[in-house]
Amino acid sequence: MTEAPPSAAELKQLLLSLSIYWLTTVIGAAAFLYPFWLPGVQQSSLMTQAHTADSPFMLTALVGLCFVVVLLEVQGAATSAKFVALLGILVAINSVLRFVEVAIPGPGGFSPIFFLIVLTGYVYGGRFGFLMGALTLFVSALVTGTVGPWLPYQMFTAGWIGMSAPLCKVVTRLFRLEGGWAEVAVLALFGGAWGIVYGGIMNIWFWPFAMGPIDQHWQPGIPILEAFRRYAAFYVATSFIWDAMRAFGNILFMALFGQAVLRALRRFQKRFAFQYRPAEAGGRP
Amino acid sequence: MINSPAWIAWVGAALVALSATRNPFYVGLILLWIALSLAFIPPAADTPPVPFSPLRFAAVVIALSALFNALTVHVGRTVLFRLPAGWLLIGGSVTLEALVYGMLNGLILSGIFAAFTLLNRVLPVRALIRLIPRAFYPVAIVISIAITFVPTTLRRFQQIKEAQAVRGHQTRSLRDWLPLLLPLLVGGLERALKLAEAMTARGFAGAGERAPHDAGTQTAIVAGLALVLAGWLLRLAWQMTAVGGAVLSAGGLVVLVTLWVVGRRVPHTSYRPEKWRKNDWLVLAGALVVIGAFLVPWPGLNRDSIFYYPYPGLTVPGFNALLGGATAGLLGPLALLKGGSAR
Repeated sequence: MTEAPPSAAELKQLLLSLSIYWLTTVIGAAAFLYPFWLPGVQQSSLMTQAHTADSPFMLTALVGLCFVVVLLEVQGAATSAKFVALLGILVAINSVLRFVEVAIPGPGGFSPIFFLIVLTGYVYGGRFGFLMGALTLFVSALVTGTVGPWLPYQMFTAGWIGMSAPLCKVVTRLFRLEGGWAEVAVLALFGGAWGIVYGGIMNIWFWPFAMGPIDQHWQPGIPILEAFRRYAAFYVATSFIWDAMRAFGNILFMALFGQAVLRALRRFQKRFAFQYRPAEAGGRP
Repeated sequence: MINSPAWIAWVGAALVALSATRNPFYVGLILLWIALSLAFIPPAADTPPVPFSPLRFAAVVIALSALFNALTVHVGRTVLFRLPAGWLLIGGSVTLEALVYGMLNGLILSGIFAAFTLLNRVLPVRALIRLIPRAFYPVAIVISIAITFVPTTLRRFQQIKEAQAVRGHQTRSLRDWLPLLLPLLVGGLERALKLAEAMTARGFAGAGERAPHDAGTQTAIVAGLALVLAGWLLRLAWQMTAVGGAVLSAGGLVVLVTLWVVGRRVPHTSYRPEKWRKNDWLVLAGALVVIGAFLVPWPGLNRDSIFYYPYPGLTVPGFNALLGGATAGLLGPLALLKGGSAR
């Protein structure tokens, strides 16, 4: 049986969806990375400081705008009862893991929440993964009383982790690794890499406004390579060990629990694959 | 009783003021108003306990920030002592200016943390969920389900732990957590299945698997985002500040209006609507005074003292009485305190 080709309306909707993802990615990435691409700005010392004062608000507004737009687009999938119930329960479980983390803090950025975000994104798709990442951070902040200005950035970045998890399927399908330890190894490497990248992204939004040694400090007008070199020095000095612990934690959790959790998620994916149909007159479906 | 949006405006004002200045006088005043509010405004009955005390947080953050800045920033005229130049990163002169700047950064972080601690204490979780815009109702439902199931999941985790302990299971290492985690996950997924059936039986979008937004909404959002991108590029890359700002604002407005229109289509029933009272106007006015003073370049108001910088030599920061007085706008909730009813 062959699938029917998409209609013109469906193609238009797909195109618009892709445009939204593309634009939010470009604006979000540009907002996060603007210290690296902004050309030299000739300003007096007072103007530079004034710019320093208003830029965090501009960046926060842009990142916030991108986040709400992606959330609006992604939540289009959350209109079925199965999707909503499954997501709600998984977010609750992951929030309990965060609760455990707050009660018994691990070393550095060691956290048990990211491996479930990666696995749900990998099994149930990018939209599910985005909502799982963003909402886990939101709900756990509510129940642990840790709502703060960092929360939108955490939600956006954790959402990206879940949204990008299906990329692992490209590797696992290409090399036919599904169902074995090699699949878990791919996911562990992916989780480990995100452990570092998560910290790197979370640093960038405040790095231009933080002070530090001149060789680690952003200045208006420095060339892009110099900006990267300084950020790398800043990152190594302030965050690398912390983030390495997160990466280690993600790899460890994936190695210890990945295969069993993957099996459980896949089993329930099959059990959730049914359609409700309204009953016809006479009571027979 | 202060309305949730008024509290959000209050915390927003604290955040704006703390992010805008490094002047120790203004920072000190803002911290004083937040500390007084924290000390005297009683917490709401059903708010979660705050994991860290703001005082303990401040002590650790200020000390660490001052130490880190002093050891890694070797700039400033007042040299306290010198470390051997060969020591990676920390080698060089340790200056009073770097120490003071690190302390100021720590104070600002502590102020932001304290302001949000107060928000977490005075706004119950249901009030925070109610703040989610109507356009995001599926997300709000997911959050409601998750928050409802968090206590159940915690209890279930405890039960699984006890059941495994009865069987002789001991949690010595991380590996031993699998017999606890897996039943929790599988039990949760079973519960999700039952919940989905119950929701469908009660008429929650059982038949439709996916109902994306209409093409008009998507087109408006794409147009808004394109304007935001264009305006931002004009403003920052090509220095066309006024035109860029206008285009960027127009784009943002298009997106926000679209969200509002999407939200208007969602049927909404509020069983206990929050009432906006005179007190809320007072808190909002106080917040606007703070935001206006620290962000808007009013004619005749000298804002130079906002931008204090201790390098290269430590100087006594300036103080503008109008700006200092404006910070008292943060005292709104405290001023309305009558026998513990400010929240």
